[in-house]
Amino acid sequence: MPTAYQKLENIVSNKYISDNLIVRHAYSRNVDPVLQGVPDIVIRPKDAKEISEILKVANQENIPVTPRGGGDCEQGGSKPIEDGGIVLDLKRMNNIINLDEENLIVTVEAGISWAKLNEYLCHYGLYTGCMGPSSGMTASIGGGVSHYSSGGGGAYKYGSCTELVASLEVVLPTGEIIETGSQANKFSKTPFNRFGNGPDLTGLFCGDNGIMGVKTKVSLHIFPKPPFAYYKTFLMRRKSQQATAKIFSEICHKGYEVYDAYYLDDLMVRFGCELGLFPMWDSLKRKKAIFFYTLEANSEVELDEKIKQLDEIIISEKCEELGPEISDGNIAKWHYTEQGHWQMYHNLWGMVPAYEPLSAECTVPINIFPEVLQDIGQWEMENNEDINKIEEITKMRPVAGSGPISLEKGNVAGLATGFNTYASYYDGEIHEIIEEINLKLWRSLIERLARYGVQWFMMGDFLSRVMVDVGGYSSEYYKFMKSIKKTLDPKCILSRGKFNFWGTE
Amino acid sequence: MLGSYPNLQKGCGDCGFSIRRAVGRYLTCPVKESKGEEGFEIYFSRGRMNVLKSVLEGKLPLSRELAEFAYQCTECANCTEVCHETHNENLVLNTSKWIDHYKVWDALRKDLVEAGFAPLDRHVDLVDYMNNDAMKNPYGEDFAKKFAWASDFPNIKDKGDLVFFAGCTMPLRQQDTLKNMMSILIAAGMEMALSKEEWCCGSIGARIGEYKSVNELMKHNIDILKNMGAKTVFTACAGCYRTLKKDYPEILGEELPFEMKHITEVLVELLNTNQVPFKPKEGERLKVTYHDPCHLGRHMDLYEIPREVVAKIPGVELIEMKRNRKHAWCCGAGGGVKSQFPDLAKDISKERIREAVESGADILTTSCPFCIGNFRDAYEEMEPEIKEKIQLIDVIDFIASKI
Repeated sequence: MPTAYQKLENIVSNKYISDNLIVRHAYSRNVDPVLQGVPDIVIRPKDAKEISEILKVANQENIPVTPRGGGDCEQGGSKPIEDGGIVLDLKRMNNIINLDEENLIVTVEAGISWAKLNEYLCHYGLYTGCMGPSSGMTASIGGGVSHYSSGGGGAYKYGSCTELVASLEVVLPTGEIIETGSQANKFSKTPFNRFGNGPDLTGLFCGDNGIMGVKTKVSLHIFPKPPFAYYKTFLMRRKSQQATAKIFSEICHKGYEVYDAYYLDDLMVRFGCELGLFPMWDSLKRKKAIFFYTLEANSEVELDEKIKQLDEIIISEKCEELGPEISDGNIAKWHYTEQGHWQMYHNLWGMVPAYEPLSAECTVPINIFPEVLQDIGQWEMENNEDINKIEEITKMRPVAGSGPISLEKGNVAGLATGFNTYASYYDGEIHEIIEEINLKLWRSLIERLARYGVQWFMMGDFLSRVMVDVGGYSSEYYKFMKSIKKTLDPKCILSRGKFNFWGTE
Repeated sequence: MLGSYPNLQKGCGDCGFSIRRAVGRYLTCPVKESKGEEGFEIYFSRGRMNVLKSVLEGKLPLSRELAEFAYQCTECANCTEVCHETHNENLVLNTSKWIDHYKVWDALRKDLVEAGFAPLDRHVDLVDYMNNDAMKNPYGEDFAKKFAWASDFPNIKDKGDLVFFAGCTMPLRQQDTLKNMMSILIAAGMEMALSKEEWCCGSIGARIGEYKSVNELMKHNIDILKNMGAKTVFTACAGCYRTLKKDYPEILGEELPFEMKHITEVLVELLNTNQVPFKPKEGERLKVTYHDPCHLGRHMDLYEIPREVVAKIPGVELIEMKRNRKHAWCCGAGGGVKSQFPDLAKDISKERIREAVESGADILTTSCPFCIGNFRDAYEEMEPEIKEKIQLIDVIDFIASKI
């Protein structure tokens, strides 16, 4: 009787499967410094058919399977929750299947990165509009769709990447392969539209954090890249959070089409300048909060009009415009033209050695984001004692707050909230107390934010479980979600443990 | 040791940039790309960092198996470049301030050697040869053979301000290039000294993590060069250049007692003062692309001078490959990969040669004996269509062919 490993090896061949301990540890972490789950097996399938066979074996053998695209989840979503199981590395599935230039649809294998896709599209004068997550373009399209990714650029104009989905090919947890959207119609020759022909079951797999199915192909709406763009950065006055909320709100109410708008609070600006990260702002006398936006247009006339509209709102909040060049402090220009679209997080990770975020990124209505940020400050003070314990060891205080705050489609503010802290391994020693406090504080912050009714971008391992633990879902909704999960995945093979779906009563 | 670099290692935010960068940017890891579809995450920087986190936390022991993975890395430092780069002096990426992947890989290799899990098989031989008093080179050749090429040049002095450090690869494997170099320098009227007592620079040992041999070699070489009265030492080997100019002072904890130059830095001075008697061919126009050796480029910031040298060769139109300067794709030979994993080294080289062909160049040139050697080995296995489109030549040989 072949073992599970042998059965899996027969599917992909011995080149694309490993149970080597070192290989497994390479897949055991994500971006956060705390969580780890070492799989028993890592497997690299090439297509939906192989994934289907793998999931069938997993069901037979009752082995949990965790899909992994780019591996950039900030809450441990692309590694097993507990040691064991299979990690499905989808990066082999990274091809562009079809570009339908006429209908502006691109179909890709789900393991392709945002970088590779957009690099391909730019030769046709096209782009994805929404440029994926703020964690960078190494993230995969499939992962983005699993998480409502939107911080990578175009968040206001195009929304999150899930809004661009026209259809999906999904392998269900029990191995069936389905297509959704227009492709659910067996007579449809080409994907073109997500909505119609009954309930929007594509949505079941959008933002699912990998629990409802393994996405293998994604068809996205794509867009011509406007030939004109402009980017401005402003220094804000006091009460910058309230001013930003007002600006965001005005933009929405007036229906102005902004590609992106971001706010960086003064703590981040000051801290970053002190660390020498923002030479562009060294000469600013007042290291205050920063607001920046990017506009796109099809003509210079249109661009000028948009700039005028937007500046009227911003200047009414007494913001001081910085010069047009990057050397003047125009971080918007740097992001759009040089950094390759808004990898906001890359320049924030590891602000000091070993200092990494435990993030709780979410969206909130624009009008409450200042209150939420203030409350995070309050939360930090309430947890001073625990934070001090980490500071005693590391000589650097964990700091709670938010990274860049973005204006998102749907009149919401995207908050890159969380707190920066250290892993338990610090300066050559393991400090278990750091891990205990980190998990306690992370959970506490998530619970605090949940009570504002936030919507989480990505939930992964930790956030999905804490949201359930703190009673963040109504019981009816949770039962509903559970019943769908149980129908699709009776043995809870896929992403076992997320949302506390363990497969046991 | 790795334990003394916890913050360097822990600065890795797992962002995955070491797989691929942004739009319009380039792939990062030559080993990972060479592995293709078989490229598990252990083969690029982020995956390796994840493993090291487990090692530091005591969850994974050092092992021979870990060594087999760890040494499949050319130490080209492209991962560091990607991690640090902003393209703009007005904004600094945090990680550029403390994480240096090269140092982390170096520390790991030292630990593996200390724990007895390295050197790997072929590296053991190299180290043994370097330590062997009758050899003192990694090729296993008799010591005296290193200087056989010099018998063609009886006028080389044994003391002087300007000393040539020949290294091992060129004297033992690329003698013609070395002799061509001498022809150029003699034609330019240069006088120089050569020691027939120099030992291997220790680059092989340093890249492998075997520093005991390096220490002994280093002390010997510095003494020899000092005793020769050297004020300036130059070498035609990028590996020796990096080792003497960067590793020696770091290990010693003090500055070298002489100035260290690469052959291209010497050549550019001669070319700028028209001391190289070229005989240009009428109407000849060659498109030439220059490959940045990692040990000259990313490791030592020497990008423009070699280009200046190439551009001054008569009849040359210098064109760039898509990935050039700090983005240059590795040739595949470094970090001990050539000796222990020769097929991997050649695969990476073939990628670079194809890139040279894509640039439209007639000639691919470089100034590193490891790069040119690995290119030649890979080239031999490539399709005739490639060989029809591009020729390989060391910068030195190229210049010599024109005088």
